Amino acid sequence: MSVTESVVKKRIPVKRWIILGLIALGAYAAFFGPSLLKPISPVVVLPPEPTGLTIFGFEITNTILATLIADILLILMAIGAYRFVKRGNLVPGGFYNAFETIVEFLWNSVEGSAGKWARRIFVIPATIFLLIFTANIVKLVPGFESIGRIKQVEEGTGYAPVKLLSIGSLNILSIDKGQPVKVQELESEGEASQTFEAETGLCTACEVVPFLRGSATDLNFTFALAVIAVVMTQVFGVWAFGLPYFEKFFQLRQLVSGGLFGLINFAVGLLEVILEFAKILSFGFRLFGNIFAGALLLSIVGALTAVAVPPFLYLFEVFFGIIQAYVFFLLATVFISGATVSHHGEEHH
Amino acid sequence: MNDPIAFVAGLKLLGAGLAMLGAIGAGVGVGLAAAGGVQAMGRNPDAAPIIQTNMILGMAFAEAVAIYALAVALIIIFAA
Repeated sequence: MSVTESVVKKRIPVKRWIILGLIALGAYAAFFGPSLLKPISPVVVLPPEPTGLTIFGFEITNTILATLIADILLILMAIGAYRFVKRGNLVPGGFYNAFETIVEFLWNSVEGSAGKWARRIFVIPATIFLLIFTANIVKLVPGFESIGRIKQVEEGTGYAPVKLLSIGSLNILSIDKGQPVKVQELESEGEASQTFEAETGLCTACEVVPFLRGSATDLNFTFALAVIAVVMTQVFGVWAFGLPYFEKFFQLRQLVSGGLFGLINFAVGLLEVILEFAKILSFGFRLFGNIFAGALLLSIVGALTAVAVPPFLYLFEVFFGIIQAYVFFLLATVFISGATVSHHGEEHH
Repeated sequence: MNDPIAFVAGLKLLGAGLAMLGAIGAGVGVGLAAAGGVQAMGRNPDAAPIIQTNMILGMAFAEAVAIYALAVALIIIFAA
C-alpha cells in the first residue's frame, strides 16, 4: 500500500450549472418570455431627480441619497480600520489588508510629489479619492437606477404600469415594455406630475424615476469636489508662503522692472488666474463625463442586448471608476504640491 | 422648414452628433500615449510599474478632451 495513495473526492460541478441556468433564464426573459420581463428603455435625464423627501424644505435628490450611502460606508470603513489599529495586531488580514495597500499606495504617490509637505497634504486628496472610489463602486450594485417610483411621462413614449404585488398599503408596480403608450407633447406646462403621492393617481404612460443614482453622475457633486481641490491649493499656498503667495498671479514687480519681458510675465501671471478656473472646469467635467457616460452606456446596452454584453460593461465600469478616482487624486496632489513649491528660485521656509 | 419646431429639434440632434467629432483627437491622443508607454516599457522593463502609472495618467488627460466634447453634446441636447 503506497503512502501516496490519495483519496480522490468526487467534485460535483454545481456552480457552472447555476451560472448557465441564470444566463438561460436571462435569455428567456429578454427574448422569448412575457413582455413584462423585458428590459425597459432607459430614460436619459441629466439633472438629478428629487425623490420627494424634504428636510427643512430642502429637496433631497436621488444622488444625495447615494452620496449619503457612500459616506456611511466610508465612516464604517474608517471606524473598522481605527479599531483594528487599536487592537495592536501588526499583520492585517482580509479587508484591512486591502485597505492598507490602498493607503500605502496613496501615501507613496503623495510623498513622491510633495516631499516635505506630504504629511499635511495627504489628508485632502486621499479623502477625495476614497469618496469617489466608494461612490463609483456603490453605483454598480443592482438596484441603483432601476428601483424607483413611477411618474407620468411628459412627452415621448411611456409604458403601461402592471401591478406586481401589494404589501399592506404599498403597491409594487412594474412597467410593461410590451405596451408602449405614446404621449403627445403638451403645449402648456400646467402638469404638476412631480407629486409625491404618485401611486394614488396612477399614470397611463409611465417611466421610472429611480430612488438612487450614482453620485458622480451629478454635476453638483463633481464640481463641489473640484472647487474644494482648487481652493485647497490656494490655502496650502498661503500656508507655505503667507500672503505673498498671491504675487504669483499679480506680478507687479515684473511689470515695473522688466521692460517687455516684464509685461509678458505680468500677462502670464494674469493667465494663471484663468487657469485656476479652467482647472475647476476640467476636474468637474472629467469625472462627471466618465461616470455619466458609463451609466448611460450600461442602461442603453442593457436594454439592447440583455444577455451577454452587460457583465463586461460592468467590469469596464469598475475599472473606469477606479481610474477616474485615481486621476482626480493625482491631479489634486500635483496641483497642491506645486502650490507649496517656490517659484523663480526664491526659497521660503 | 415648414415646421420650425421640428426643424430646430432636428438641427439640435445634428449639432450634438457633430460635437462628438471632437473625440477623434482624443482617440489619436490616447493612442499616442499608449504607444509611448509601451515603447518605454519595451526599452526598460524594470521600470514598468512607474511607466504604467504615468501612462494611465496621460491617457486619462487625453480622454478628458473627449469628455469635454461629450459635455458639449449633452448640453446641446438637454439644455439648449
